[in-house]
Amino acid sequence: MTHVLDDYALNSPLREKNNWLKLAITIFGILVGVSSNSPVPPFVIALCMGIATVHFSKVPVIFYLKILAAPAGFVLVSSVIIAFLSGSGTELFGFDILGHRLGVDTAGLNLAILVLARTISGMSCMFFLSLTTPMIELFSVLKAAKLPDSFVEIAMMMYRYIFVFLDVAMDIKYAQTVRLGYRDFKTSFRSMVMLGANLFIRSWEQGEKLYLSMNSRCYDGKLIMYDEKRPVKMPDILLTGIYFVIVLSVFSLTRDMSFI
Amino acid sequence: MLVILETKDLSYSYPDGTLALEGINIKIEKGKKVAFVGRNGSGKSTLFMTLNGTHKPQKGEVLFHGKPMKYDSKSLREVRKNVGIVFQNSDDQIFAPTIYQDVAFGPTNLDYPKDRVTKIVHDTLEYVGLTHLKDKPPHHLSGGQKKRVAIAGVVAMDPEVIVLDEPLANLDPVGADEVMDLLNELNYFGKTIIISTHDVNLAYGWADYVFLMNEHKVISEGTPEAIFMHDENLKAAYLRRPVTLEIYEEIKRRGLVKPQCCPRDIPDLVHSLRSQQLLWAKVPSEVKEGDNINLGILYGDYAPDSGYEAANCKVLHIHEDGLAIVEMDRRPYRAGSIGIYDTEHYTKDELIDIISRDEIECIGAMGKQSKVLAERDDIYLHITAGVVDRSILNSLAGQRCLILTNGGMVGHALERIKDYMQKSGINIPVTVVNPKQEA
Repeated sequence: MTHVLDDYALNSPLREKNNWLKLAITIFGILVGVSSNSPVPPFVIALCMGIATVHFSKVPVIFYLKILAAPAGFVLVSSVIIAFLSGSGTELFGFDILGHRLGVDTAGLNLAILVLARTISGMSCMFFLSLTTPMIELFSVLKAAKLPDSFVEIAMMMYRYIFVFLDVAMDIKYAQTVRLGYRDFKTSFRSMVMLGANLFIRSWEQGEKLYLSMNSRCYDGKLIMYDEKRPVKMPDILLTGIYFVIVLSVFSLTRDMSFI
Repeated sequence: MLVILETKDLSYSYPDGTLALEGINIKIEKGKKVAFVGRNGSGKSTLFMTLNGTHKPQKGEVLFHGKPMKYDSKSLREVRKNVGIVFQNSDDQIFAPTIYQDVAFGPTNLDYPKDRVTKIVHDTLEYVGLTHLKDKPPHHLSGGQKKRVAIAGVVAMDPEVIVLDEPLANLDPVGADEVMDLLNELNYFGKTIIISTHDVNLAYGWADYVFLMNEHKVISEGTPEAIFMHDENLKAAYLRRPVTLEIYEEIKRRGLVKPQCCPRDIPDLVHSLRSQQLLWAKVPSEVKEGDNINLGILYGDYAPDSGYEAANCKVLHIHEDGLAIVEMDRRPYRAGSIGIYDTEHYTKDELIDIISRDEIECIGAMGKQSKVLAERDDIYLHITAGVVDRSILNSLAGQRCLILTNGGMVGHALERIKDYMQKSGINIPVTVVNPKQEA
C-alpha cells in the first residue's frame, strides 16, 4: 500500500480538532502570505505551519521536508530566473554572455525572494491542512459550505475508488514490469497505454457493479454524511489567536520593508 | 417448514443472449443454512441476483413468502430490504469513504430517523467487532475486516435472508473462521443464510441443505450427506468429495471404522474409529466369549493424552490356560469437560478465578469480541479456529476446556456440543460457567 498524505492525516492527533478552525488557519495563512509585500511574514507563517505540522501533528520531519522539497526546488529555480530577468535599480553583480549583459539588481532580487517566501508559505499552509484533515472530514465541510449534494456524493465515491484503482494500477504495473514491459522507451509507452485503457474499462465495470450493490441496499438517493462533532476547545482558540496576532503584527511592522 | 424463497421454472439470459439460468426450481426454508455448490461459471451468482430482483427472469418466477415477486420500485425495495446480498468482492460493495457511512447506508435509505441509524450502526459494528475502525476509510482494512464490514452493511438493514456470494474467497483461515462464526451466529438468531461456494469441505460441514449446480441448472439437491456420498452427483458437477468423507471411505475399506454413516467433521470421524487394540489377558474361568470385563486402569504409555484410562474389554476368544483375546474399549478415566464463558459480562478476575478453580487446560475463543478481549488482557488462547470441534476433541482426550464467546454463539456452541453427544452417545459435561444473573 502506498503512503499518501491522507494516511498521515488519518492518524494525526490534530484530526480531532475542529475542521473549521483548521480551515480558517490555512486560509488566513495563505491570504496574509500572498498580500504581504515583504518576505518576512510569509517566512514566519511557513515556520509556524511547519512547527505545527511536525510537532503537533507528529508528521516525521524527513517526510515533511521531502514533500516540501518538490515544490521548493521548483520555486528555487524560478526565483533564480526571476532574479536575473526582472527588475531595475542598482546592479549587484552580473556578467556577459555572448555579448548580452545578464545581471541581478536589487528590485529583481527582492521580487525573487518575495516569490520564494510566498510560495513556501502557501505550500506549508496547504500541507498543514492536508496532513491534519483527512478528506473524509472535509466532505462534511463541503456539504456545510452548501455545495450541491450530488457533487459531494460523487466526490465521496471518487475518493473511495481512487484507492481501489490505485491498488489495481500498481498491480497491473507490477505485472507488466516482471514481464519486461518497461524495458525501453517503446515498450514503456505501450505498457502505459495498456495500463490506462485497462483502468478505464475497469472503472466502467466498477461503476456498474457499484450501481448494482447500491440498489441491492435500497439506494434512494441518500448518503449519510460523516460529521463527527468536534467542538472548538479554549486552548486551541488561544493558540490560534496568539498565532494570528503574531503574524498580523509582523505583517504591519514589516510593511514595505524589503530585504535589501 | 416455512418456505421463504422459491423459484418456479426460472430461466434467465443476459441482454446479449448468453444463457445464464435454465429451468431452476428451488425451495429455501426459513432459518436454514443453504449452500449452492458448483464450479465457476455454473450460474450461482446470477441466480442470487434474481433472488433480490436485480435480474428479472424471462421465464418463470421468484416467490418470496409465497408471493410472486413484482418488479416495480416499491416492491423491489421491500424485497431488497429482506434479502440482503453480500458480494464476492468487498470493494464492489463498500463505497462510502468511512466504515461508519457505509454501514449507515442501508438504514439511511430505509428512511430511519437519524438517532435510530446511529444506534443501528453502533450496534452492528460492535456485533462484528469493528467499532474501533468506524472512522477509518475502507482501504486501511484487511480482507477479513472488509468482508465483515460488507456483512455489517447488509445486517444493518435487518434482512430475513442473507445471501453471500463466495464469502470465504481470498480470506486467510482465521479470517474465514471469523466470518463463518458470524454467519452461524446470525443463523442462530433466525436468519436464513444462503452461500455459494466451490469449497466442498465448507458446504459439507456447514450446510443444512445443499444444491449442486452445473451448466446453468440445479442438478441435484438434498442434505449434505445425501449429496456428497454419491460420486455421480459430484462428477456431474465437476466437484470432488469432501476430505472428511474421503478419509472415512479409505479407512472404512481397511475395516478400521464402525459401520455408521457419514462423519461430517473431525469429532464424528474420530468417533467412528473402531478400537484396534487386541490384548492377551488373563481372565477368570467363568468369563465367556462376548462378555465385557473391566481390566482396571491404565496409565502411562497406554493413555498418553488423558492421564488415566479405564480399560473395558470385550472378550473375543477364550484360549487355554485362562488366557483370552480381548478388544479394548477405552474410556478416559478422568472425564474432560467443556465450559462456556459468556464474555458479555466479563471481568478479568472472574475469568482467572474460573481458570484456576476448574483447572482449565485449554482455552479457546470464538468470535472477534472475545478474541480482542483475550488479547487485551493477555489470556493465552490455545485454540482460535474451529473452536467447538477442537474443544470436543480435546475434552474427549481428557482435557478441561473453556470456550470464551458471547451472544448467540453461546447457544450455538451448546447446541453443537449437545448434537455431538446425542450422535455419539458419549457424555461430555458441558456448562455455561457464568450464567446470567437474574436482576
